[in-house]
Amino acid sequence: MTRNVIRSLLPWLDVVAIAAWGVLLLNYWLSEKLFLLIHPNYIGLTVAAGVLLLIVSGLKGLLLLRSSRSRQTFAPMQHMTLFPPGFGSLLMLAVAIAGLLITPRAFASQTALDRGVTDTITLTRVKPQSFRASTRTEDKTMIDWIRTLQVYPEPDAYTGQKVKVQGFVVYPPKLSEQYLLLTRFVITCCAADAYPVSLPVKLTTGDRKSYLPDSWLEIEGQMLTETLDGKRQLTIQAKTLKTIPEPKNPYNY
Amino acid sequence: MTQLNSAFTLFFSLLVEAIPFLLLGVLFSGLLQFFVDERRLLAILPKNPLLGAFAGSCIGFLFPVCECGNVPVARRMLMQGAPISVAIGFLLAAPTINPIVIWATWTAFRDQPEIVFLRVGFSLAIATIIGFIFSAQADLRPFLQSGVASALTLKQSQPSDLNQSPLLQSGTYFLGQSAKPLITDPSELQAAMMASVSKPKSFRLRLLLENTVQEMRELGGVLILGSAIAALVQVFVPRDIILSLGQSPVTSILAMMLLAGVVSICSTVDSFFALSFASTFTSGSLVAFLVFGPMIDLKGVGLMLSIFKPRAIFYLFALAAQLTFALTLFLNLYIS
Repeated sequence: MTRNVIRSLLPWLDVVAIAAWGVLLLNYWLSEKLFLLIHPNYIGLTVAAGVLLLIVSGLKGLLLLRSSRSRQTFAPMQHMTLFPPGFGSLLMLAVAIAGLLITPRAFASQTALDRGVTDTITLTRVKPQSFRASTRTEDKTMIDWIRTLQVYPEPDAYTGQKVKVQGFVVYPPKLSEQYLLLTRFVITCCAADAYPVSLPVKLTTGDRKSYLPDSWLEIEGQMLTETLDGKRQLTIQAKTLKTIPEPKNPYNY
Repeated sequence: MTQLNSAFTLFFSLLVEAIPFLLLGVLFSGLLQFFVDERRLLAILPKNPLLGAFAGSCIGFLFPVCECGNVPVARRMLMQGAPISVAIGFLLAAPTINPIVIWATWTAFRDQPEIVFLRVGFSLAIATIIGFIFSAQADLRPFLQSGVASALTLKQSQPSDLNQSPLLQSGTYFLGQSAKPLITDPSELQAAMMASVSKPKSFRLRLLLENTVQEMRELGGVLILGSAIAALVQVFVPRDIILSLGQSPVTSILAMMLLAGVVSICSTVDSFFALSFASTFTSGSLVAFLVFGPMIDLKGVGLMLSIFKPRAIFYLFALAAQLTFALTLFLNLYIS
């Protein structure tokens, strides 16, 4: 008896599981959490997939309703090649619910250290498409600076230029208390391939203890060349440091 | 706690990125039935194992889906009696040999076009060779999961069923209490769809819907498990350790192949991922990443388990790994 009930409910589990994924994808989009997970280029694809999943689930539900009204029992057998009946749907449903309950969080300094933020060679995946020397240097974002450095790495070329960038704080383990790393994550497709880019910041007064790791800062100052950890590096000499809230879209592209 | 949260974010980012492709793949392979007569396609493919493997590798062009989507197609090919060489060639090459992936690779490596050609060339070569090797196995059933194997047995016992509707065969599916047959096994559904071309549109659409639901459920479950493993390994094994393995011609290739297997990134976007290593890693190792990743990775192995027994997957893995290693090492040592 109970087995029959379970069997008759299994098709509905599919409907609910697929709908849950549609809801999850659309929910990520509407609450703008999608920015934390994937590159904006793929947002359209995700939204379309969410809508499609809801359509598929709705159609399947409609069919089930119709067949139950005409007293037609559904085929009782499930031929799963891999999972026991209902396992796949149950797993999908459970994960979708977890996704709705737990808020994804942008990567922070621990991940940045894990992913080699302290390596001095910072590279970007997308090569600079255009290069304008006349751009006001204080309009450059973190990734603009890194790309510029990639094209022409000599730090002396930028000494004295004004700079205004945003990012979060990472404490570089090898540098003294006077320095911190202002860091952004860059993603090309999804958070799985996020990589950090950063510029060292030299504090003029006090030490880095007043700026906690992971706090977001907007730093204004001037570029100078420092020899850090045996390497000549472009460094920001900070004039003002302003604490800012974590941006809605914490990644750079 | 931070680690756990990172793993969670990674896990969902992989899923959110992969689910649309999975859906695209499932819908596409279902829709294909309306436009491409697979049996006719399989019939015109060369019977010679080597040519068959090559042809199988090339027909990826007809199916613009990445590795999440090629497994159901390959499984259906096998169940419809396609030679193993064709199915293996397709399984290994289709994620790479398709217009979207080649275009994405070209975008990423515009400065090094040789990477694009090497990726395509090596993938074709390796898929063809492995397809050819597998064709030496006369009876495939010990390699296959029972569902696929029994369909094959059926095929062998009824070798000339081309003109007979699979809907009329006994023992493959179930009749509901209405006159309409209702089938619940995805692969049988798909086989039945082949014969449904003359059926009314509503019936075909219903089969497409059933097929989509079944495949989403099954492949979605596997995708979730694969992504979970990939996310955990990525968070709890620091990338630095994986990367510090390699600057030399040999270890860089091994490191990138390991990374390809762990990250499980979809072949449509993996070239951007590889690009970040372009200046720190040898060209050979980049090509190894781009060739090996789409063939074998944690996520893909999970999906392949719906066709093959673990032993066959191990053979596939060993052959693909060795061939990729040998070809890219040659590249590192003698060409670049």
